[in-house]
Amino acid sequence: MRTDGVLARLDHWGRMLMPGVVLLFFVLLTLAPLRVPYISDILPLLPALAVFQFSLATPERLPGPLLLVMGVLLDLLLGGPGAPVGVSALGFVLIRAAVVNNRRYLVGVPFLFQWIGFCLLTMGYVIIVWAFTALFTWTSLDPGPALAQYLVMVVAYPLVGPLLARVRPRDPLNVPESSRGTAQPGETTS
Amino acid sequence: MAIRDDFEVAASQVRQAVQRFALALLVLAAFAVMLIGKADTVLVENARVVALDLANPALEAIARPVAAANRAIADLREFATLREENARLREENARLLAWQTAARRLENENDRLRELSRFHEGPEASFITSRIVGDSVSAYVRGALLNVGRRAGVASGQAVVTAEGLAGRVAELGENSARVLFVTDVNSRLPVQIERTRERAILAGDNSTLMRLTLAQTVQGVQRGDRIVTSGHGGSFPVGIPVGEVVQAGDGSSVKVRPFADFSRLEFVRVVDYGVTGLVGSGAPPATGAGRPSGR
Repeated sequence: MRTDGVLARLDHWGRMLMPGVVLLFFVLLTLAPLRVPYISDILPLLPALAVFQFSLATPERLPGPLLLVMGVLLDLLLGGPGAPVGVSALGFVLIRAAVVNNRRYLVGVPFLFQWIGFCLLTMGYVIIVWAFTALFTWTSLDPGPALAQYLVMVVAYPLVGPLLARVRPRDPLNVPESSRGTAQPGETTS
Repeated sequence: MAIRDDFEVAASQVRQAVQRFALALLVLAAFAVMLIGKADTVLVENARVVALDLANPALEAIARPVAAANRAIADLREFATLREENARLREENARLLAWQTAARRLENENDRLRELSRFHEGPEASFITSRIVGDSVSAYVRGALLNVGRRAGVASGQAVVTAEGLAGRVAELGENSARVLFVTDVNSRLPVQIERTRERAILAGDNSTLMRLTLAQTVQGVQRGDRIVTSGHGGSFPVGIPVGEVVQAGDGSSVKVRPFADFSRLEFVRVVDYGVTGLVGSGAPPATGAGRPSGR
């Protein structure tokens, strides 16, 4: 199998860029005026979901510095006077690190465990954003809306998460490095 | 072979160390960004404006189909109630025609009285209509993004109104974009007056659907159903834009106001350009701001 054809290279680059592009799209979608009661609620947490899901599948395609940039962009766009810029970036980076360091509990396990992992990590993310926003604006922010967002997102994860995970199984090299054999794609054992 | 294995083990250890170090670096960088944002607010404002201007075309591209879909759904919903709606509107039209007659008479009378008393009115307000291209709504912010900016003549602090009433004010301004802070945002403080008693008050948002009214001095009190209008003390706000209606005014301390503007279905808004005659250069009276009727 030729691996250096134009199509193959396009495919390669497409796969490389896919997570970043999806994340950027979600960051922009956060601002879309959808006005649908429940869907609008989960929009601000969609980027976090993308970070979680892609960190599970292909963390090397969503490097930390990119997450930093995306988080800062999200904070800049979402705005609000006095709101901290960079808190989403912190959350993204921590989600990625937590997923990468706990891969063996999250990859190749029943979906329920992934869901639980997502619930825990997103809870951490929501708490971090809430705490830092409260700290920066020095007001006692009502955690109610954030909690509502979180609950809707937790319910929505089984619908959205697997959709993003679709990018994963078609990549033959997408297995953890430790369990990856020496065989090249297309090679058969004799 | 053993040497090579050792080398690989060492290399993987180094790689792991770098990865761990990288995480610490990234976290530090995030904190650094936050600290810079806290220390240098002007820089952050500029960065926000640049990001808004950059994202605006993409947002507009997303907003149009979304708006079309929303409108289609709303249309479908309206078809169901077309008949009752029509009857209701006819009735309302008859009532409004009566009001129009009254308003014409009052306007004439007002004009004549103003002539008599040599009253100087403030500058005429003009409007800039804009499409809402983005919601700036998270758990902590209530706002929206507009597709007009400095180039269209929008200035920071101007009032943003809908057909029903005041929506908010322009908080950030780019070349072709602006961010509106809704009156329900936790950072919004609006000088208002109660239409019935002309008493002044401050209307504060708290990110919920209702706003809190703080009266400066209350003599006559406030009742349920009182209309709240802007008092014009906030600089570029005209006097008397309807803001909301008191829905809760018990003996307790908190008076709650429901905004007239329906934030859940905003598509177009108008930015009120009021009193920046130096830039616009219209034939407004020379007494800009000084001769403006303020409050009462």
